[in-house]
Amino acid sequence: MSSAEPAGFLYPFIDNEETDAASLLADLARSAAGKWRQSTDLRNATLAVLDGPIRAAGAAMAERVAAGGQVFTMGNGGSATDAEAFARLCTRPPRGIPVPARSLVVDQAVLTALSNDVSFEVVFSRQLMAFAREDDVVVGFSTSGNSDNLMMAFAEARKRRLLTVGLAGYDGGRMGASDDVAHCLTVRSDSVHRIQESQSAVAHALWEALQTELRQKGAAA
Amino acid sequence: MTTTSAPSPSSAADAAIGGLASDLARASLALARRFYAGGTLWCASPAWPFHSHHVAVEFVHPVIMGKRALPAVTVPPDEDLLATLRTTSRTGDMIVAVAPADDPAVVAVMRRGDAWGVETVWIGAGPRPPAGAAKHVLWLETEDPLEASEQFVRVYHLLWELAHVCFEHRGLLKPDVCLDDVCVTCSDEGRPAEVLAVVGDEAVVRTAEGRESVDTSVIDPPSPGDLLLVHAGTAIRNLDDVA
Repeated sequence: MSSAEPAGFLYPFIDNEETDAASLLADLARSAAGKWRQSTDLRNATLAVLDGPIRAAGAAMAERVAAGGQVFTMGNGGSATDAEAFARLCTRPPRGIPVPARSLVVDQAVLTALSNDVSFEVVFSRQLMAFAREDDVVVGFSTSGNSDNLMMAFAEARKRRLLTVGLAGYDGGRMGASDDVAHCLTVRSDSVHRIQESQSAVAHALWEALQTELRQKGAAA
Repeated sequence: MTTTSAPSPSSAADAAIGGLASDLARASLALARRFYAGGTLWCASPAWPFHSHHVAVEFVHPVIMGKRALPAVTVPPDEDLLATLRTTSRTGDMIVAVAPADDPAVVAVMRRGDAWGVETVWIGAGPRPPAGAAKHVLWLETEDPLEASEQFVRVYHLLWELAHVCFEHRGLLKPDVCLDDVCVTCSDEGRPAEVLAVVGDEAVVRTAEGRESVDTSVIDPPSPGDLLLVHAGTAIRNLDDVA
């Protein structure tokens, strides 16, 4: 380190210290373009592979919604924001039919009360105990597919006959292997960021499928 | 990635995503420099609060183990964005907004970036904000709101990923290395300032260097919140005068 040398300050360009940003900026731009392309490729491949499962999940959700059910969403960290985004898309869609939905992540008083008094594992399952009815749907977002609080909520939801939909990553994790998750939509990647980016597209495709089914039901009614 | 390979023209990188790749590179380095100097990142998305929460959690609790936790804060969507950031942001901080070009609160905050000494990054889609509306404008071509929302996530993921690459290049993070083409601090031009209070022919203003008193006798009496250009202790123009 130059700071350890008494005369280092006289020679600011010694010790391979960069002062020209152009080379780094070119590398960063190339890296950004490459990652962007990877994300696009993963998104398109995922939507192609999951086309059937997304339609099936959307149709099952439409059954519940048409019967008067609402959609609960949940997730941790960045996935909590995906859960909030999906609930808002349902209630305030840019087009189409508004669907009753609510994120289980937004109420600080409930989240901290359950975490403090019981444990963080129950923050979603205990809310389902309070709110859920048989026609409802729960959609959980997790990049690992392994979150304890999601698994507990899926088990509770299954017991209460809710429809369960999971968005997972990697190989699906526990969500992919569990009977408690009726529809598990897995983005097959091992990069958390790229998984989340494709999950956002999967969530939008799921919403489109739900809208398509609701339109058909509306036309038939 | 390394920096030992020969630099390639960024036009090659830009082929995939247009000028966004170069814009992302510059914004990431600017954020890394501010974080390195101790700045805080303020995240705002009045229309889509989940995006601002997502940006903040990326930096505070990185998905990659071992990466440093960085100070990033969401401005709650129910707060007055301008009032909150005017009070809480400090010289050296950063603001990242995810918002359409016509979001009035974001417009108001972004145009004060230079007066507050804050680096501004504006992520959005659709019609672009006017040139210079923020220091860094990371804009997407798509008009589809769902596609835009997906791509916003990519943009701020990449901001985080590239900023962390920059942390490995300490020489470029030092504050005495000036990377701007024109450095307002070093040059002899007017500096932007926001009026905090007016007393007679003087105004207390906030500039990138802090609070100062300036003579306002050569302009019409300004109001608190106005943006002025100051030069040598004198306000020479009120940028909010529409006349």
